[in-house]
Amino acid sequence: MTSEEPPLDTARHIRYWQRCFRSLLPHHYVSNDSIRLTLGFFIVAALDLLSSPSSYSEPPRDPLKASLITPDDRKRLRAWVLSLQHPQGGFCGSPHHVLPEQYATKWDAINKVESARDPANANIAATYFALLLLGIVADDDGSSAFEGVHRIKTLRWLKKLQRDDGSFGEIIDEDGYVGGGRDMRYCYLAATIRWALGGPEAGEDFDVDALVAHIRRGQTFDGGVAESSMHESHAGYAYCAVAALSLLDLANPNAATQPNHYLHAGIPSVSSLVHFLACRQFDYLDSSSDEENAEPSTQPPPDLSTLTLSDTPITAGFNGRLNKAADTCYTWWVCGTLTMLGEGRVVDRSPARKFILEKAQHIIGGFAKHPGGPPDVYHAYLGLAALATMASEEGQDKEEGLGQFDPRLCISREASERVAKARETLLAPPEDESDDDWGYDTEKVKQEINWDETQKLIARLEAKWKAEGKIPVLEMDKWNPYDPPNLEELAAE
Amino acid sequence: MPPKNKGGGRAKAAEPAQQEPPKQPQTVRELEWQRYYDTNPHQKAYEELGLHGMTPADRQAYLNQEYLKPGAAKTLSNKAQKELWKQLNESNLPLRSLPRPRDSHWGRDKNGRDIGDYTIEEYGAHEAKTTKLLNLFFQSQAFKSKREKASNGDGHLVGDTVQPFTCTEDDFEREKVRRKEMADLQQDLYSVKTDPYALDPEWDDVVPIPQVEPEGALAAIAYPDEYAEAMSYLRAVMAVKEHTPRCLRLTERIISLNPAHYTVWLYRFSIVKALNIAIPDDIEWLNEVSLTYIKNYQIWNHRQLLLDHYYPTIVTSPSEVAALGDSERQFLERMLEEDAKNYHVWSYRQYLVRKLGLWDEEERQSIEALLDEDVRNNSAWSHRFFVAFSDPAHATPGSHATEPDPRVPAGVVDREVAYAQAKILLAPQNQSPWNYLKGALVKGGRKLGSVREFSEQFVTNLGGVGDAEEEVRSSHALDLLADIYKEAGEKEKADLALRRLGEKWDRIRKGYWEYRRKMLE
Repeated sequence: MTSEEPPLDTARHIRYWQRCFRSLLPHHYVSNDSIRLTLGFFIVAALDLLSSPSSYSEPPRDPLKASLITPDDRKRLRAWVLSLQHPQGGFCGSPHHVLPEQYATKWDAINKVESARDPANANIAATYFALLLLGIVADDDGSSAFEGVHRIKTLRWLKKLQRDDGSFGEIIDEDGYVGGGRDMRYCYLAATIRWALGGPEAGEDFDVDALVAHIRRGQTFDGGVAESSMHESHAGYAYCAVAALSLLDLANPNAATQPNHYLHAGIPSVSSLVHFLACRQFDYLDSSSDEENAEPSTQPPPDLSTLTLSDTPITAGFNGRLNKAADTCYTWWVCGTLTMLGEGRVVDRSPARKFILEKAQHIIGGFAKHPGGPPDVYHAYLGLAALATMASEEGQDKEEGLGQFDPRLCISREASERVAKARETLLAPPEDESDDDWGYDTEKVKQEINWDETQKLIARLEAKWKAEGKIPVLEMDKWNPYDPPNLEELAAE
Repeated sequence: MPPKNKGGGRAKAAEPAQQEPPKQPQTVRELEWQRYYDTNPHQKAYEELGLHGMTPADRQAYLNQEYLKPGAAKTLSNKAQKELWKQLNESNLPLRSLPRPRDSHWGRDKNGRDIGDYTIEEYGAHEAKTTKLLNLFFQSQAFKSKREKASNGDGHLVGDTVQPFTCTEDDFEREKVRRKEMADLQQDLYSVKTDPYALDPEWDDVVPIPQVEPEGALAAIAYPDEYAEAMSYLRAVMAVKEHTPRCLRLTERIISLNPAHYTVWLYRFSIVKALNIAIPDDIEWLNEVSLTYIKNYQIWNHRQLLLDHYYPTIVTSPSEVAALGDSERQFLERMLEEDAKNYHVWSYRQYLVRKLGLWDEEERQSIEALLDEDVRNNSAWSHRFFVAFSDPAHATPGSHATEPDPRVPAGVVDREVAYAQAKILLAPQNQSPWNYLKGALVKGGRKLGSVREFSEQFVTNLGGVGDAEEEVRSSHALDLLADIYKEAGEKEKADLALRRLGEKWDRIRKGYWEYRRKMLE
């Protein structure tokens, strides 16, 4: 990046995101109703990235004040996210998927456990976005971000989302049917939730080896990664595969002795994946036709012999698959994946940056999917993600006005640290009862008071009273609840 | 907004008193005040003159009237009561009086106008409407009660015999008309919109579960009324797992508004199973939806569920399986006409090939047709690789896409290599067949060197200058040649190929070609 290149117009983007944050989405967003949590995530994560401590040239003294998300907003957002939690674990994608408690939970009288009446409303993507949002809006160092999250129930639910072949679905219904395709995205979401909630540490881990084997089958003959085995290679699925494996590595207690253990186990050929990713960029030429979505495939093949060595700067667009059109979000999916693979420098930052700022940026702020199109929250956020990721490579200048970025979680570095802190709190020995998981607590309390033995004692006492012609309930009524009698003595009398 | 009536009746009341004879009241409020003063004849004098300014007789009458309020007279002694009644009789006071009107009790209409300011005629019309609405409401209640009795099998006495209650089609139709009329009246009177499901007697037994959401929620959507209502009914029937035809129709409604709803599809499938609906019928409906929502994801999961459910019922009949394969292929071709690279369609097509065993010539030919149309259609290339190298007839189960499979016959590898080469010659700078070529060689366990000559035809005088100037017709050829030279141990030549790619033939990837050069070491 040279000094003549224009900086990112952060003021414009901040205005765009604040508009998204404050206003009601118009009615044609109804078809996005089920992913409101996702839309909300992009909006809040963008505001966070545009005002995180590292986005300032000098770190602010009070990061909370410097943030575009006010403390009041943080409280409100936190409450809203938690209101989408399913009482039996997992999060729902929108308030329309949240049912009143009596429809969400049932009591299984035989096994004496609570279970979900409408398990399919909890969704794996919603759960991922909810956990990250809780980290982003935490107003402390993140320690209390996961307070109120049903950790154990969510982990148990996550285990059920895994199929025998190691893949994950997005939802599970009451009959145990796992819905959704065999989709690489769910692998990534599952690996993130497992890491964030400390799945292995809670003793509620899914089958990691099966997951790695499933991801491994996703690499294609051309080096890319597909939705699942033998499908077409796709940069977005490559990101999901690599990020999933990175998160498995991040959660690996033996990471020090076996770095990138899962990455190498899950990607048969890293070098051919790098080849596939590097090939996603191409010299973006404005199409002269008025057709908005003209794909390069409709144009005659470029004749290499006409290429000149002139030094006109190149604008590098990225596509997600071979011979497809340039799309803003693939700059992120490709660069993010390469960065996780430690090969971020394979992409030349300047032409890639040029595409995003000069072709995809919109006059009202935000980025469009294709040059000339309207901005949307998805591409506007991933455009920022791409800029922040490319700036993070060693020896590169900072992207003014953007904070540092964690490509694994796709949020600002500081927010990612808060999520990590929230996780640490979960893993800390439970001195205070921060885990409000009812079923889990019940098990613990039962052990503490020696429940089974006590039940037997009471049964003996009841039998004894009946034999004496007394009514057990009346006998027990005589007990002082604050000073209960010693049951063993009573039974021995 | 009409001016607010400040100070209550006091100011107003004074007016008619000054004019003799009393002015004809214009509004219902004025009428009400007039009646009040008519039944409280000394009130006006009291308000105008005060207690001390009144004549003693008026004052006495005014105070006596106070004792006409219920129970007040009982507080007096018997003697005093007698005296009171005597005086009341003489003064000819009305024994019953209207209470003092309150200003706010009229309320406001839908336009914010005070109903008290209505003219008497306007108010009459208003009253007529509310009365009609009330009557319709009672008739509607009667309908509901009758319908309930009919469904309980209750009877009623006609003459000497007990007849069962019946609810005919006619009753339903009349009720629908009635609801419509009620909705119109409610809209007219109160601007209350009645949504379609509330109008439909068929949905009476369902108590909708509306969405609740705190103020200032994130990414809130301005839900149209019809969506919000349909959704609250869906939530209600899904919560109790009702599987009826009306629910099937409701899922269609929701899907048309929000096809990405991730639970309504599973719900629809459970209804299809419960009602034993013919799967081809639902597939036909789904085709329409798929063509409307080209990019939708859930549609394809639903299609798989339907097929998984349907296939076992026809598996013993080869002709039915073949017919299903044909109709599915036809539909997929229709979808690919819309977008030849639709990822979901291709994913589904792989599922279909595996499910119905369509590893046949027809499948390969249909892909070739697509590639003839657009040789850069990488989705078609990818599918071809799948059909060629995953066919259980000759592929090792579970063989990875990137590893050699010794079971694949040499003929298949030859055919695929030749096909890729032919397509490369058509457009040398198209990467798809180059990747395919390399993939087919690896699958066949062949050396990359076996296509050295083929690849070198696109590169002349590598590294040459002057008379023998270097010429490259395909950067992908040079890319593959770098691997071929490396495989042959010609490291320097490989390095040269990679260097020239970064310097001239593929400068956009300079960083990558440097990475490859490092990998040579």
